[in-house]
Amino acid sequence: MATMVSSAPIQKSRLRRILASPTTARILFPFFVIALWYFIYYAIDSRIFPTPLRVLEFMWEEVTLTSGVRYSSVAENLYVQFAISIARLTLGFIVAMTVGTLVGLWMGVSKSVDAFFHDWVVAVLAMPALVWALFFSTAFGYGHMAPVLTVIFAGIPFVIINVREGVRNTPKELIDMAKAFEVPENRITRHVFLPSLMPFFFAAMRYAYSIGWKGLVIAEVFGSQVGMGWTIKFWYDAHRAHGVIGYAIFFILFALALEKLVFDPLARRAFKWRPSLDAYQLAEGDFSGVTQEGLLVQEDQIGTTMEVRGMESGPQDG
Amino acid sequence: MTTTLDRREDAPRSAEEARLIELRRRDNRRKWFWRIAGYVVILGLWELVSTQIFDPRIVPGPSTIIAAFPEIIDGGRFLESYGATLTRIGVGFGLAFFFGVILGVGTQVPWIAGFFKDAITIGLVTPGLVWALTGLVIWGFQPQGWAFAIFMTTFALVTVNIAEGIRALPKDLLDMSRAFGVTSWRRQREIVLPFLAPFTFTALRFGFSIGWKVTVLTEVFSSNVGIGFEMRVASQLFRMDEFWAWALSFFVFALFLEKAILQRYERKFFRWREEVAL
Amino acid sequence: MADIRVQNLQKEFGVGEDRVVALENVNLAISGHVFVSIVGPSGCGKSTLLNILSGIETPSSGTVAITQDSRDAEPGYVFQAARLLPWRTVMDNLMFVQREKDDAARERCQRYLDMVQLGDKGDKYPGELSGGMQQRVGIARAFSIEPDVLFMDEPFSHLDAITARSLRRELHSMWRQTKKTVLFVTHDVGEAVELSNRILVFAKGGVLKDDLNVELPFPRDPSDDAVAVAKAQVLRKFEELDLVAS
Repeated sequence: MATMVSSAPIQKSRLRRILASPTTARILFPFFVIALWYFIYYAIDSRIFPTPLRVLEFMWEEVTLTSGVRYSSVAENLYVQFAISIARLTLGFIVAMTVGTLVGLWMGVSKSVDAFFHDWVVAVLAMPALVWALFFSTAFGYGHMAPVLTVIFAGIPFVIINVREGVRNTPKELIDMAKAFEVPENRITRHVFLPSLMPFFFAAMRYAYSIGWKGLVIAEVFGSQVGMGWTIKFWYDAHRAHGVIGYAIFFILFALALEKLVFDPLARRAFKWRPSLDAYQLAEGDFSGVTQEGLLVQEDQIGTTMEVRGMESGPQDG
Repeated sequence: MTTTLDRREDAPRSAEEARLIELRRRDNRRKWFWRIAGYVVILGLWELVSTQIFDPRIVPGPSTIIAAFPEIIDGGRFLESYGATLTRIGVGFGLAFFFGVILGVGTQVPWIAGFFKDAITIGLVTPGLVWALTGLVIWGFQPQGWAFAIFMTTFALVTVNIAEGIRALPKDLLDMSRAFGVTSWRRQREIVLPFLAPFTFTALRFGFSIGWKVTVLTEVFSSNVGIGFEMRVASQLFRMDEFWAWALSFFVFALFLEKAILQRYERKFFRWREEVAL
Repeated sequence: MADIRVQNLQKEFGVGEDRVVALENVNLAISGHVFVSIVGPSGCGKSTLLNILSGIETPSSGTVAITQDSRDAEPGYVFQAARLLPWRTVMDNLMFVQREKDDAARERCQRYLDMVQLGDKGDKYPGELSGGMQQRVGIARAFSIEPDVLFMDEPFSHLDAITARSLRRELHSMWRQTKKTVLFVTHDVGEAVELSNRILVFAKGGVLKDDLNVELPFPRDPSDDAVAVAKAQVLRKFEELDLVAS
């Protein structure tokens, strides 16, 4: 009948549209990964390569504390290990941010100080966290010192550089404006200088945390008997791939949670006056620059953004 | 009446000019003074801390480390180690670069971009250590182990940089050339490729930088040759002077590769852009 | 209303072969309820002059005195790009430049926002406003401190013709109501003729070439014939003076 014939094409194209959409693609990807995993499992000749199910099973046991594995008397399970790692990371982070910001400010403000420290900041920046981890573990043995120091040394150059860039990128035209209006110095600092520093400071925080986290894990592998890094090493030494992969996934989940649940909302709140970028873009923009070589991160001068917008006069204005 | 800007070269400089030249000279001198002061103070403090507070064998000072250099070079393993490590970087990162570029270009297609979106995010946030241990626990000493680690750590970076470049392609130039009937092949060659060159270069530089770090990391765990292996052996024997000698020698070498060679060519690629590359 | 006196003002940049003279021995005197335009080709030092007068830059030599009844005059400044603090609301931007941050100040700011027809936009961030609106906030800001002298650096050059026209009208009526001294830099001769009763003509290289009085009565309609004639006369003068040769 005529109506039956005409309805069919519409349904087909909607299905095709759904299949062709990128969101569907995104959803399909994990299935693809699992399929690939099974393929490798059957293709590879290894006694330790686990199935996805085995890994999931392991992870579930860890989370529900039913695995029967007791890591040590000090830190029994996933949660305690995790807490220890977070505590170390936070401590290192605070020190790196404090010292790094002070040095960065000083370097940004004074050319002599900049000349004094510059080459050393670059040197420390280029050192991989591995070197710090091995060195501090040997120097300080097991305990908290090595991991915390690694976090500090891994993150501090990023903080210094970002804060210094923030100072050097102070929007001169806004300061000139304030001076033209004879605004007192302290008000200029509070309302112009410090807010202009915020994006760089924020970037510094993100780097300090994410680079610090990567360094922490390495340090815990070498120089610790507790913590997430040590735990993954535990399973590695035991040749239990499902353990290693399971904890690898825990790591990934943590890093993702940090990004999406902590830094993104923070970025949204702190930068709500920026209509051109949403927090996600800010985050993405940051992260594709993450390259672990940090250096300059943040977007250009806020002042420039304002001027560009000023020039986009459109008929929609009043 | 016009303002005069022409000056004869032997004309006496005005007082103001002389003052400005002198200021600039003084500024330069001051910077060099502080720079050298930095070296003196920091190296000196380091030396002091290492000998007075710690044991110089555990926390070696600059002098101890420099003394250790000839030892590691004599060992004969020097060239072998460098060879092994560099080969691994070449293979691992080479693969990552190859696939990264393809994937990066592929992200022009929204479906592909959607499909690999999470893979890239995970690739960016996962610590290299995690890939290293995973690869090593599955494949042990076999090449798949370290290749997997280096590949997984660096491919996302390459992809993202290339994708950035693709996203920034000047659509107006491409449309213009299409309107003038320029063939697709020529469009790719004369517009897309030159435009992408800086992004490709950045991907190369940063990817390599991370690549060598992860390579050394895998060697520390599971290898019997290479820079990372030497570092592990040295630290296990508590010969920290040799440890630092290995670490610094490779780090200086990698830095040299990054800055001197790559950065010099980078300038050629970036010439048409005003943005200053790092 | 302020009293501006400039004597032997000289401003140079750079040294040796890079030396550039931005202002060459400028002398001028401006006082009272006047709207003075400064026109000239690019490179004639108009913006530099304004920067020196408002204190942003210092002269290489010469004196500048801006007074109001024997005290220093209060300056207000409107920039080419609005130069608003993007991380503060519109109202906060106005409050930022006030002497005292009290209720009287807030009331005053609101009044001037109303005057530029942005009275309801006080809580918005500059990023939420169009270019024309941002510029109006800039104007409101400059007026809100009720300065003795107002410096304006090509404030409408980045706006489209229609917006610029309505802003010129607004500015002019505000000037007539508040009786300030206004120094207005522009490269647009038509704008200068429409708005000012005195035009200072600068040539490339920072030389003050001429001082013209525009005798037409206010308010002036830019589409009026008399204004067009005046503009033509001024342009002819420019050609006689040969402002671009260096």
